[in-house]
Amino acid sequence: MTTMLRLELLRLLRDPVTVFFTALLPAFFYVVFGAAQDFGEVRVGNGDVAMSVMIAMAAYGAVSATIGIGGAAAVERSQGWGRQLGLTPLEDRTHVTVKVVLAVLVACVPITLVYAIGALTGAEGSLLAWALSAVVLVLGAAVFSLYGLCFGLAFRSEAAVAGAGGSVVVLGFLGNIFFPLSGVLLEVARWTPLYGYASLARFPLTEGTLYAADGTVSSEALWVPLVNVAGWWAVLALVATWLVRRGRARP
Amino acid sequence: MTTPADTGPAPAIDLRGLRQTFPTRAGEVVAVDHLDLRVGAGEVVALLGPNGAGKTTTLDVVLGLTRPTAGTAHVLGLPPRQAVQEGRVSAVLQTGGLLADLTVGETLRYVAATYPCPPGRVAEVVELAGLGDLVRRRVSRCSGGEQQRLRFALALLPDPELLVLDEPTAGMDVAARRAFWATMHEEARRGRTVVFATHYLEEADAFAERIVLVARGRVVADGPTGEVRARALGRVVSAVVPDVAAAARRLDGLGEVSTDGGRLRVRTGDADAVARALLTELDGHDLEVVGGSLEDAFLALTADPPADLTTDPTGPAVLQEETR
Repeated sequence: MTTMLRLELLRLLRDPVTVFFTALLPAFFYVVFGAAQDFGEVRVGNGDVAMSVMIAMAAYGAVSATIGIGGAAAVERSQGWGRQLGLTPLEDRTHVTVKVVLAVLVACVPITLVYAIGALTGAEGSLLAWALSAVVLVLGAAVFSLYGLCFGLAFRSEAAVAGAGGSVVVLGFLGNIFFPLSGVLLEVARWTPLYGYASLARFPLTEGTLYAADGTVSSEALWVPLVNVAGWWAVLALVATWLVRRGRARP
Repeated sequence: MTTPADTGPAPAIDLRGLRQTFPTRAGEVVAVDHLDLRVGAGEVVALLGPNGAGKTTTLDVVLGLTRPTAGTAHVLGLPPRQAVQEGRVSAVLQTGGLLADLTVGETLRYVAATYPCPPGRVAEVVELAGLGDLVRRRVSRCSGGEQQRLRFALALLPDPELLVLDEPTAGMDVAARRAFWATMHEEARRGRTVVFATHYLEEADAFAERIVLVARGRVVADGPTGEVRARALGRVVSAVVPDVAAAARRLDGLGEVSTDGGRLRVRTGDADAVARALLTELDGHDLEVVGGSLEDAFLALTADPPADLTTDPTGPAVLQEETR
């Protein structure tokens, strides 16, 4: 399994475009939207806005990375590599484990980079907030490999996986990642998949406080992001299972 | 239950009443329809048939990639997936199935990691498949023939008893194809059972000891290659005769008669009888007997409405009209 993991990592490093987008883009966003902004110093929960933006951008980076890996895994399976592996003693679940570990490892790259830049540029939060938010980001990211997997299984093309990656930007806005939402849009956003993940990751910092762009302050209970994450996890797992079964039924 | 497997070594492949259907939007498609096939250890067998005949589906069942809708499948006496897990059967599949961004050597190490391979095995199969110069090359930069050699090397990793090849020379040029079959002859001499699917007639003819002709999901001919050619596929007997019309009437029951100027041609399953009649009764001369090409048989047996060639493992293959 370590040989497979090592070779899978090597394959990712050979794709400079992917490396750029997964590792550098979220860091760039954090610098532009967080570290370089005057409002970065404004207090939020037990830290500041810069820290909140930092967590959000790390979430964006982690999700982009795992969606890409999940989608690519599905596409390469449907394009014949799955048949090649079917000729070996390798079990499906071992292969899935390799891919999930890979996704989590890769998600750590943008998280680490964004957190490092955050620490250097003075993002503030309690030690517990730093640690807990990072743990939530890493574990939650694994869930989103299912999102990529569903896209790849449903459409079986690299273009579809690129589309899944593009949809992260839209879901990121609805997930309260790029811009603080309020009003009706916030009510809608609560149902979208990235909202729960990002909110949960920020919870150790904000302790449930929501700041809208117009300056209004509201609060949110912990169960809201928890239910969102659990719900989407279940939906994605069900859809992925159904798509795998449908894929087997074909010649 | 008593099976031949109880009394001797298990056959390499034992398929009984195999049926495989796929649901499609247009209804159920029958890919394989009550197919029986036994391949003994050490045989070299060609599964010959047009595209869509059910060859790949049959081999997928043998390799445990698909579970049959009905019927049973055993490989070396085991359920197919178990035979694969024990590394006793392996395969070269049709195009696709490689990761373009790995090198040849990395692909081999990746797949070797799924087997309990001894450490030197990758180097051994590199040697066997003639991949020495290509180990550091990316799969995306390999030609079709080179990629196929890599698939072959992957198949050799577990040192399998049964090697299954699905259209193994697709995408190869003539030289690569010749080199591939030379390597495969070597593997067969070492005692590996080789079963390959192909729609290249000359390949089946040149390499296989036995041809199993498959059409519309069923076995339509099965026998030693020479016998299938000679008996089932017929020969063309021709001679110059003085009275073409009379000779044509006389020979009509023995085969398919055509004329070419003063020359009479008879495509027949009984070349001896036709030749005897031509030389003794009909005053023929300039006699020629030409073996029917596999191509002709292929087209005849896989055409609609089809002719049927019953399967009799002990006797010669016999051509007869389909009665169903």
